[in-house]
Amino acid sequence: MGKKLVELLWSTQQRKTWTIILGGLFVASLLIRFISPVPPPHVALSGEPLFSAGPKWFTNSVLTTLIVDIILLVLALSVRFGIKEIPTGLQNVMETVIEALYGLAESVAGKNALKFFPWVATIFLFVIISNWSGMIPGVGSIGFYHPVKEHGDEHASLLDNQLAMVGGNILLSAPESAQTVPASAESEKGKFIPLFRAPSADLNVTFAIALATMVMVQIWGVRHLGGSYFNKFFNFRGPNGFMKGINGFVGILELISEVARIIAFGFRLFGNVFAGEIVLATMAFLVAFLLPVPFYVLEVFVGFVQALVFMMLALVFFQMSTISHGSHDEHH
Amino acid sequence: MDALGIEWSLLLAQIVNFLLLIVLLRMFLYQPVLNMLNARKERIAQSMKDAERVSAAAREAEQEKAKVLEQARREAQEIRAQATRDAEKIAQEVRGRADLEATDIRMKAQVDAARQIELALADANKQIADLAILATEKLLGRELADKAEQKRFVAEFLADAGSKGK
Repeated sequence: MGKKLVELLWSTQQRKTWTIILGGLFVASLLIRFISPVPPPHVALSGEPLFSAGPKWFTNSVLTTLIVDIILLVLALSVRFGIKEIPTGLQNVMETVIEALYGLAESVAGKNALKFFPWVATIFLFVIISNWSGMIPGVGSIGFYHPVKEHGDEHASLLDNQLAMVGGNILLSAPESAQTVPASAESEKGKFIPLFRAPSADLNVTFAIALATMVMVQIWGVRHLGGSYFNKFFNFRGPNGFMKGINGFVGILELISEVARIIAFGFRLFGNVFAGEIVLATMAFLVAFLLPVPFYVLEVFVGFVQALVFMMLALVFFQMSTISHGSHDEHH
Repeated sequence: MDALGIEWSLLLAQIVNFLLLIVLLRMFLYQPVLNMLNARKERIAQSMKDAERVSAAAREAEQEKAKVLEQARREAQEIRAQATRDAEKIAQEVRGRADLEATDIRMKAQVDAARQIELALADANKQIADLAILATEKLLGRELADKAEQKRFVAEFLADAGSKGK
């Protein structure tokens, strides 16, 4: 056993090099913890205004949203104006992505694919780049310290709704407890505001997409089925009073489920990405090197899966809204 | 809502941003790329069909060629056979005619020879008759009176001798 371990770590020149690098990183992680203690990671539930004196709406997630927009548009424009019959480089990549997405849309929506495609493809591209933008080094860690105003209630409101991390424990600081949060590096130099924040880690963004998608579901439902689309929600037909009541109740459930979908959409994406960011920050805080690596791999995967899930659900809801509910029941 | 950082203005801004992104990406990314993919698909299908047609045509041409070659070979053989037959016939004809001519020439030569012999014989007969008369005159010492009668007599005699000699 011990001999095997020695052989694994110290048998060839290459293995020796790797062992030294990994051991060095591990020792460095431990040393950093003692020599220069880093402040616990900044964790905020929502986007924060970048300039303390500036407009309140200009938050770090708005800035990152614009950057994601620019990335997408630059990609789109460079493909649009360099498009060739024989594809090269970037065009190849974009064609592969779009063809794959279109294939997916077609497999779900059939002949409606072309109609739904711009929506679901934009959801996928925007969400995946937003998710991955949170993992770029510097996002969440580069920022400013805002001077904390002197009077106490202002301070409390600034610290309001922040998740603070104390000795590896995360706690949600309520206004009353704001003052009792143990001093972190933040309170010395002021409140830390990251310059960038992944858009999908902001509920405004996820709910914006969720709302737009669910509104569009209703619009497509009406377009395909006309007024009879609403029969799904207000259905009082039935052979007897009991069935009428049941159908009416089902209609109410359908209404609730539409609202629930918005909330599920919004919180699912937000929760996954936000939690992922906290995990990465926490791991990097605990052990500076090596430990975050597997979590980065995991988060890359989660970012992709969440984008795919959002897209697929939107696609399925779009498609379901075009299929008549009532006629299905009447055939029985 | 406030506790979660949701603000109506930001939410609205993000919705607008998302809708704008859909419009722009549709204009600059999806439509061109999908059009290009479709165009390429059609082109590939077209070229495959063309290739199929070309290879079919090539196959047909190959068959045609083989057929023509076969035909040509058969015709050449026929022509050769015909030529051989013709040559044979001509040779036969020529031989036949040559034989005929040769026979002709031979027969004419025979006739000629016979006539020559006859002429020579007639001449000889005449000379013999003359000599015989001359000899007789010499023997008799006088000239025979009736020369014509004499000659006729000798000729009759010779003819007699000739017919007896045969």
